[in-house]
Amino acid sequence: MNFHINTFAIMSLFVFLFVGTTNAQVDPEIQLGARGVVSFNTDILNQQTTTAVNDFSDTGLLLGFRQKLYNKFRGQLVIGFQFPDAESDLGQLFFHQTFIKIENQTNILKLGRSRVRSALIEFPTLRDDDALEFTDVLNPFSSGENTEDHQYGNVLEYAHIFKQRWWIRLHGEHFTQTPVPPARSETDFSLNAIGASFQYRVPETQRWNQPFLQQIGIGLNNFILDQPGAAFVDRLLKNITASLVLNLKPDPIHFVDFRAQGILNYGLSRIQRITDFATMTRARSIAVFSSVRYLWRQYERPTLQIAVSAGYKYFPDLTQPSNQYQVVGNVLYRLGDNFDAIVQIQYKQFSGDLLSVYDRNETRIQFGFVYSIDQSWNNQFDDRDSLLNLEHGYIP
Amino acid sequence: MKRREFLKSTTLMSAAMLFPNYLLSAEARERNAQRFPPSLPHTVDGDVKVFHLQIDIIQHEVVPGFKFHTLAFNRQIPGPEIRVHQGDKVRVIFKNNTELNHTIHWHGLHVPWRMDGVPYVTQLPVMPGQEFVYEFVAEPYGTHFYHCHWGTLLHMQSGMYGSFIVENDQDPIREKFPYEREYTLIYSAHDSNFIRNELNAMLERMKERIILMKSGRFDKKRFAVFNSKEEFERAVEGGYLPPYVISRRSRADLPQPNWFTVNGKSYPMTPNIYIKSGELIRVRLINAGQLEHYLHLHGHDFWLVADDGLPVPQPWQMNTMRLSPGKTADIIIEGKNRGIWTFHDHDTSRVTNNGLYPGGNLLALVYEDLPPEETELNMMARKMGLTNLPNVALDE
Repeated sequence: MNFHINTFAIMSLFVFLFVGTTNAQVDPEIQLGARGVVSFNTDILNQQTTTAVNDFSDTGLLLGFRQKLYNKFRGQLVIGFQFPDAESDLGQLFFHQTFIKIENQTNILKLGRSRVRSALIEFPTLRDDDALEFTDVLNPFSSGENTEDHQYGNVLEYAHIFKQRWWIRLHGEHFTQTPVPPARSETDFSLNAIGASFQYRVPETQRWNQPFLQQIGIGLNNFILDQPGAAFVDRLLKNITASLVLNLKPDPIHFVDFRAQGILNYGLSRIQRITDFATMTRARSIAVFSSVRYLWRQYERPTLQIAVSAGYKYFPDLTQPSNQYQVVGNVLYRLGDNFDAIVQIQYKQFSGDLLSVYDRNETRIQFGFVYSIDQSWNNQFDDRDSLLNLEHGYIP
Repeated sequence: MKRREFLKSTTLMSAAMLFPNYLLSAEARERNAQRFPPSLPHTVDGDVKVFHLQIDIIQHEVVPGFKFHTLAFNRQIPGPEIRVHQGDKVRVIFKNNTELNHTIHWHGLHVPWRMDGVPYVTQLPVMPGQEFVYEFVAEPYGTHFYHCHWGTLLHMQSGMYGSFIVENDQDPIREKFPYEREYTLIYSAHDSNFIRNELNAMLERMKERIILMKSGRFDKKRFAVFNSKEEFERAVEGGYLPPYVISRRSRADLPQPNWFTVNGKSYPMTPNIYIKSGELIRVRLINAGQLEHYLHLHGHDFWLVADDGLPVPQPWQMNTMRLSPGKTADIIIEGKNRGIWTFHDHDTSRVTNNGLYPGGNLLALVYEDLPPEETELNMMARKMGLTNLPNVALDE
């Protein structure tokens, strides 16, 4: 306790000294992002029906502060929380984003709690985790209770951008371990995963330049498993991800695109049976997921979106053939600015050893609303991917 | 050496040492001359004077350390000065090099109505890559200006303006006040954040519209253009939502200017006006911005000799004048109080740079025959490293 008091006193003095010497300041740019997702769900598990009247998981709030630094860099702090899934053990609120970012035109350094690089692209599903077993590299330290374990972690990430569209990322993560082991210290955020990715991607603002290829990328995720005595290389659980986004019809009124991503989990050779979630994430597997999306933009804004997505995953090294597939279809209709009504139907089927983790099949019918906002105040500078910065010279 | 000779020689030596940076040096005056809009050269086709104007997006430096993306006639702000004689036949060939729409309005000139440059009233906008030829006879005599009339709120403060001077050999003002030198000062106010956000939004929208225009899908509702008020009313009754109800571009905030310029520059980079004792100079004032300015000259009264380009029947003296948006005013200053005198907006919120005083609309009337020794500073100032008046002050 004494340690905390002394630390606090020193920190107070430190802050006080800075306040005393820097009275004037530039107001930071303030950013507010919010996404409300509410759905009425009907689940049919092995022909038994359950209904959730009010599912508001994935609803979240983000607050950001940004300003110019003295050397053409920009600094940013983001704090955000969301309502976790109903069956999770994360409590009422989960702080999914708390990070600091420092960036210039071609370099980005990010430190803190944030979205891990477990996927290269996103898919048109109602919630980010609707097809998580296909769309994301799964966290082998997770019990499977919380989908957030696979999506968020403490990250240390550096990105470099070449010629506006080529991205190299090096990242290390501390993925959440569940159930939480006894603490070794108050701040055990040591890296338990490292990875890298290389992507070509067209900035969103240049989508009407009509390139056919929107994104192509490859990524490597290595989880460092806790296996005392084993060589470092043998402790790595390796995953390779590849992704592709194509504009099939880059038309402003009737827009169609195609997305696909594959994840190869090299797995641990000794795992030949899946008995629980941990062995499932550590078994060799191949997953592919793809979607086709049609977007009708009546008056320069989205009006109607219809998307069909499908995924297939199998585990080649198991003694019992095991696989799973999923089909998701949804329709979004825009009721007002950033306010959508959605209907989504998804069907999942599992076989073999996967039945020790999941039910044989699951159908979920959802009807809901999504409202998302993205506002900022005290604007001071432009974004890297604005058309002015991309096509008329970058201004720091 | 006698004491008087010693003082004289040391004074000359110190003046010579200071001279390179001094306001009265030839180099400083040459640099200052470049802070006034240059005359646009023309060719002659029969009895018609032919001028070429083009519009581009450039990065404009308002003061050292601050640049923003702007629109600019012939890549300069303000655009070049067009100077003709009363009765001249004028042809201006306007080329749009941007991905935005534009027109040119000849403010104060009595042009044929189809040459007046008001989109959807006198002509269709000059679309990306297009050329439009304006032809008219230069009438009436006086100080006028030209500016874009498309998206006027954004495009004017983005730099799309320039002076248009119609001369007359029997100039009644010159007859009454025989002057040799004259200066053009164009005032404007800029919300750099509004400009950035709006330009980006407009560019993004236009990329989409260009695709539609190329494929012939020119939908009136999409472009928010109707044949008549009745047709527009019927559209609203039928469910059409006007853009002012659902802002299709960026947010609805009106601009809050944070930069105030004279000839495209803010203090300390504003132009100075040079005069000699006993000399009369003419200053042509143009307000191409959206704010009123209250221009005050220290140490002098001046004559207001023309209002909106028209000679006033009875010039009258004042030292502070109101320059409303869209106004031009010509004043005559008589050099009868040797010194360096500030000429500034007395709404001192416009004598700021990004909220910090001093800056903005602040410039100086400088007597060329001012003895250097009158500008010397005391020993204390020299210890600070300051040499002579005037100094450049950035934070008072």
